[in-house]
Amino acid sequence: MAMLDIKNLNAFYGKAQALHDVSLSVEEGSIIAIVGANGAGKSTLLDSIMGLTQFTGDIHLDGRSIASARTRDIVASGVGYAPERFNLFPYMTVRDNLMVGAYTARGDISRNLDMVYRLFPRLKEREKQETSSQSGGERQMVSLGRALMSSPRLLIVDEPTIGLAPKVCLEIAEVLKRLRDDFSLTVLITEQNANFALSLAEQVQVLESGQLVASGTPAELSSDERLAAAYFGHA
Amino acid sequence: MLQVLIQGLLLSGLYALIAVGFTLIFSVGRVLNLAYGAYLLIGGYAYFYFAQTLGMPKFAGVLMAGIFGCVLGLLKFQLIVKPLKGNHVAIEISTLILAVFLQSTVIFVFGDSSKILLPIIPGVERVAGAAIPFSNLFAAIASWIILLSLWWFVRSTHMGRAMQAVSMDAKGAAISGVDANRVNMFTWGLSGALGAIAGVFFASYTQLYPGMWVAPLIIAVAVVIVGGIGSIIGTLIVAHIVGFLEILTSAYIAPELRGVFTMLLIIVILVWRPSGLFGREEL
Repeated sequence: MAMLDIKNLNAFYGKAQALHDVSLSVEEGSIIAIVGANGAGKSTLLDSIMGLTQFTGDIHLDGRSIASARTRDIVASGVGYAPERFNLFPYMTVRDNLMVGAYTARGDISRNLDMVYRLFPRLKEREKQETSSQSGGERQMVSLGRALMSSPRLLIVDEPTIGLAPKVCLEIAEVLKRLRDDFSLTVLITEQNANFALSLAEQVQVLESGQLVASGTPAELSSDERLAAAYFGHA
Repeated sequence: MLQVLIQGLLLSGLYALIAVGFTLIFSVGRVLNLAYGAYLLIGGYAYFYFAQTLGMPKFAGVLMAGIFGCVLGLLKFQLIVKPLKGNHVAIEISTLILAVFLQSTVIFVFGDSSKILLPIIPGVERVAGAAIPFSNLFAAIASWIILLSLWWFVRSTHMGRAMQAVSMDAKGAAISGVDANRVNMFTWGLSGALGAIAGVFFASYTQLYPGMWVAPLIIAVAVVIVGGIGSIIGTLIVAHIVGFLEILTSAYIAPELRGVFTMLLIIVILVWRPSGLFGREEL
């Protein structure tokens, strides 16, 4: 049984339809990437999983439907979300941002805080700093850390590398791998940066104008010339 | 001089307490609650009824005022603010009408004439020619204790941090598992209780009368506009600016003009610095 199973998802922004009949499943313990251009519907797809959009279709987590669940219950049942614009709390310290992430997992605070600070030693050094004064890379770390504070089994990250320096991208990739390998998390990311996605994920889905148009392993997708030219920047 | 200082400090503590409940709702719920003064009205009359008419202990009277304010806040949220979700003009008009309705209800039940609240703590101390009623001193100290507790609460508890989170980024709060509806309910109840308790102190400072919701509302709006919606600390600072402005005006110019300068200050700040002195919108 897939950990996350999305069936015939149609999502709407007002009257405009942003996703058309998207079906997707994520196996436990895998790293899955959804690749697509700006406006393809990647963020809408992730927001829908978190119960933040209007949609039809069904979404199952561990075999249970979460399609009409409230966001807080989705978080409490083990889904952590690091959104594209981070949505941090700018005038709160790094530590307080992380503490808000622990809202539904208060029993695990010391263990999770320890894990976050081990993954991102820089956050420990700057735990008293307000996030409004931080760099993009640090904010991404706070955002990932906040998601991890809810004790997730499935971590969803929207464009983990957007606007980040190449060195920080590598750091983030390393952390995402460790989360799967050392902490047994399942990871679902979206990316515009197809090379990053291909180097990290075992399974890649291609999203175009709100529809999934291709899927496969990185090897399969790289060898498809049409896709390679359109999405991965090499013929 | 010392007299002005003492009176200014006492009044400012009370003003900070009056303003902080209004600030909470604006920061967390993004609602300009024009019925805020009604909490003070209901709180003052609830105290009058329970402590003076029924003769319950004064502390119990303050507690009952807080409970009435809390319930009023919760009802307002459930019956007006939530159904009108996001429609600010409708919310502002409805809350203003609610305040007038509550004023009429108070007149219907208690009559139109003003009432004297007996001092919560009787007695007067004279310091440097200034008469300091113990009641006012108690009100100022109680306000400070309440504000410091609130400051601690907002910073150090899960619910307090959730209130800050909702005020800074609603989506960020939602994906952290914070239920904004519950946080809003809590904030409306808390704001009502704070306003009602401030009402007891305010009425013991001045008097209890059905139109007593207007002046505190102006004070609260002034603190919010001059300070910019900000931290609890910002509210404290600006409450002192407004409080001292009033005391200085009545001491050195004319007591009749005390409220006028507060309102002029609102206009000056709106023109000169629309975002307020400490302007940011988060808690």
